[in-house]
Amino acid sequence: MTAMDLASRQLPGSERRVQLMATCLCDAFFDDVARATVEVLQHLGCIVEFPEGQTCCGQPAFNSGDWDSSRKVVRHTVNTFGGDVPVVVPSGSCAAMMFHGALLEFEREPDRANVAALGRRSWELADFIVNALGVSKWPGRFPARVALHRSCHGRGTPTPEAAATLLKSIAGVEILPFGEEDQCCGFGGTFSVAFPHISSAMGNLKLDYLDAVKPDYLVSVDMSCLMHMNGLAQKEGRPLHVRHLAQVLRDALVTS
Amino acid sequence: MKKQPIDTFAENLTAEKHAAVRGGTKATHEKRSVMLPEHFQNPQRLREMAGEIKQHAIENLDTYLPQVEAKLQSNGVQVHWAETADEACATVHRIMQARQATKLVKAKTMVSEEIGLAEYLEERGIESLETDLGEFIVQIDGDHPSHIVRPIIHKSRREIAVSFEREGLGAYNDDPATITQRARRWLRPKYMEAQVGLTGANFVSAESGRIVLVTNEGNSRFSLAGPRCHIALIGIEKIVPRDRDLGVLLNLLARSATAQPLTVYTEFISGPKLADRPDGPEEMHVVFVDNGRTEVLASECREILRCIRCGACLNVCPVYRQASGHAYRSVYPGPVGAVLSPLLAGKRFPELADLPKASSLCGACNEVCPVNIPIPDLLLRLRNRGKEEHAELASVATPGLAGWAWLASQPTAWKTALVAGKAMNVVPSALLPVPALRAWEKDRTLPEWRGGEFRKWWRKNERKTEL
Amino acid sequence: MSGAREKILGRVQAALAPLKERSPLPDWDPVLIERRGAIGAVPAANPGEPGLAPKVDLWTLFAERLRALHGLPMEGEAALAQWLKENGWTEGYCDPKLWPHFKASLPEPTFHVSTVFDRANYDNYQFGITIASGAIAETGTLVLTDRDTPSRLGALAPWAHVAVIRREQIVPDVASALATMPLDPNVIWVSGPSKTADVEGILIEGVHGPGQQVALLIP
Repeated sequence: MTAMDLASRQLPGSERRVQLMATCLCDAFFDDVARATVEVLQHLGCIVEFPEGQTCCGQPAFNSGDWDSSRKVVRHTVNTFGGDVPVVVPSGSCAAMMFHGALLEFEREPDRANVAALGRRSWELADFIVNALGVSKWPGRFPARVALHRSCHGRGTPTPEAAATLLKSIAGVEILPFGEEDQCCGFGGTFSVAFPHISSAMGNLKLDYLDAVKPDYLVSVDMSCLMHMNGLAQKEGRPLHVRHLAQVLRDALVTS
Repeated sequence: MKKQPIDTFAENLTAEKHAAVRGGTKATHEKRSVMLPEHFQNPQRLREMAGEIKQHAIENLDTYLPQVEAKLQSNGVQVHWAETADEACATVHRIMQARQATKLVKAKTMVSEEIGLAEYLEERGIESLETDLGEFIVQIDGDHPSHIVRPIIHKSRREIAVSFEREGLGAYNDDPATITQRARRWLRPKYMEAQVGLTGANFVSAESGRIVLVTNEGNSRFSLAGPRCHIALIGIEKIVPRDRDLGVLLNLLARSATAQPLTVYTEFISGPKLADRPDGPEEMHVVFVDNGRTEVLASECREILRCIRCGACLNVCPVYRQASGHAYRSVYPGPVGAVLSPLLAGKRFPELADLPKASSLCGACNEVCPVNIPIPDLLLRLRNRGKEEHAELASVATPGLAGWAWLASQPTAWKTALVAGKAMNVVPSALLPVPALRAWEKDRTLPEWRGGEFRKWWRKNERKTEL
Repeated sequence: MSGAREKILGRVQAALAPLKERSPLPDWDPVLIERRGAIGAVPAANPGEPGLAPKVDLWTLFAERLRALHGLPMEGEAALAQWLKENGWTEGYCDPKLWPHFKASLPEPTFHVSTVFDRANYDNYQFGITIASGAIAETGTLVLTDRDTPSRLGALAPWAHVAVIRREQIVPDVASALATMPLDPNVIWVSGPSKTADVEGILIEGVHGPGQQVALLIP
């Protein structure tokens, strides 16, 4: 499914300089996730830059079919993330937008090469830690029963395996299997508001399965999925404790 | 506010139908998921290979179509071509008229649904009878199939029993074995009375000219044992380059569709019967149907023509499971239908422009597709087309994002909005003129707005590390 | 309708013209479709050719696979006669070329077997015995053709179909069956009794085709 050969992406140099794409969701709602991402990368010896002009990867408009609007935003993002160091993003769906989606909407554009170049530098966080930095054992402790949600944009990428590898390796973590793990949670971007009944029904199926195993935390590499499932859970009075993988990794370090 | 029709359909679906569709699709999907890795060392590679074979075939139809036509003709088959649904129906009718035929028995073929054959023939006094059990039940109910492999996945045995009683097939009895036996008894004489047996074709080999029929019930065998004339309706995309390529496709088709290594009957028909045989058609006709396929071939979504109609994408799709097949208002529902149906509609694309939107783009469909069709990418292309053509159905209930795009290209304005958005935490969202927000909050809480907090922390953190 | 032909082919040409290159036909490795574990057959050195002699006994594998499909592998005329008697199936059709084999084991007055299939009374036969053209071990599949089973109805209409097979006719897998497919207008791969799961996904055997599928091995 991926148009790009993910094995040929930009690796960090000896200085381990990286650029952080915080994502618009974290910029607006989940600052702690962006913070945790920085702390985790710094723990791994990375020099983290945060290009302040960043806004969004352009995915919402891309998914909606408004490719004109999306391209505007992608061009701004390409300009914001100049240079040739890896770009790390705590979101599977934003990363997939950068190395796959954007290429689709720029197929016939004269500046396609620039977009492809940025895509080649783009890494979802867990994928970056395991496959770019070669770290597969995470230090510290995080004693908890954890359900790991397999965000859909991870399909066909190294992310799901990387996330599982890291999580499993943390002392104290017990990963709980639950029903129909591969089924989508129902977020889907504007799908969640254009098809609200189906979106909520899909989310509730997930919550039912999670209810059956009662994890301490529901963990994912995507805040969009967690925002949707947590939002449903809270509205229905059956709250969930959700954590982004970056937060788990950071918290594990703090307790060590 | 206007709602997306597929979402509304899902909302109004009865609990019974929803349970039937979800149960049926989930069971088959799970069996398929176990079977493929159990039987093959590298099912992923196998799917990719099948995809490459079919992609090659459709990209070389200009060579293969004349080739297969010549092969069929040398095997004694009469070949016809139909640009439109009407032409295809008229061709079938003409063939029947030439044989003074008034009765036709039909093995399962979605193409006949697509062209509206049954209605066309009935208007002209020809009895056209479905013989596949599911399609037979659909026909007596005046209903439409809701799944390309399991046409009555949405029906319960109770509903079928009521229909059978109504049609005089026996007093109410909802035992599946009894229902099946009754259909068997009722249909048997029809095969012998009909002058024409109509089938589709799952594949047609450009090497040998053999058409391949894949069934379980025996109805297509009977349709080619009783009647004396065979008409096969075949979409032009059904070409397979060589007989040996059928090895890849046949190993994937039934496993993907019904979790069987092979269906009970795989028929390889290469022509009418030989003169001295007691049973079988003396005449065989193939009608190659375009009906919009050349337009799909010319589009940016031509990969959808790889589809071998296994239904695996329907079975895994969480949206299909919630909405059921009829929600898609087309012959082909589910993920494949969300791409194919709007495209086959040609100029009437706007009428189905909502279909590509009815997806969370989860990608499960591509993961199970035996010919590796990148369905989410095709859905996205069609969404773009819907936007560019201002198709109304594509934009119903969808927030416009031009304003957001402006904001997201203006960093200063963006940063201001981040901080200003904190107002959302105190103003009730019912007062905010943002329909998307209201739609969200109907079923979900919104997290606390914390725009600007990360950047504040970052600047502090940067200063700290600079010290 | 040559107008339609030219128009369609013309549109196909036009649709494909912008393609800078056409996807090649992949030269796929036959090992991709080898079923794991069971066969032990040696795959062909060249694509399209049947594989070399398998390490497992093909009849044994075929019988196991057929049984899994609720088909009935059987050996010898006596076993067949016994089974028919047990089920009370006495009215049957038998291919005239086979009748000398079965005459003794299916005698009158117990059995009434005709060597001519009467199309007008297609439902009068409880069993039909015909000659198989081959079999596929991997899938428990019988191969029928018009050449060896000229009476299509004889193999299809009766509730029980008995396909007579010899050991040397069995090929290991789907690939070899495709490579050795007989030149016949009507080749049918039969894998067990007819079935449907259309009603609530519940499996029912015996729909339009036979409800009992026998493969009878004779020397």
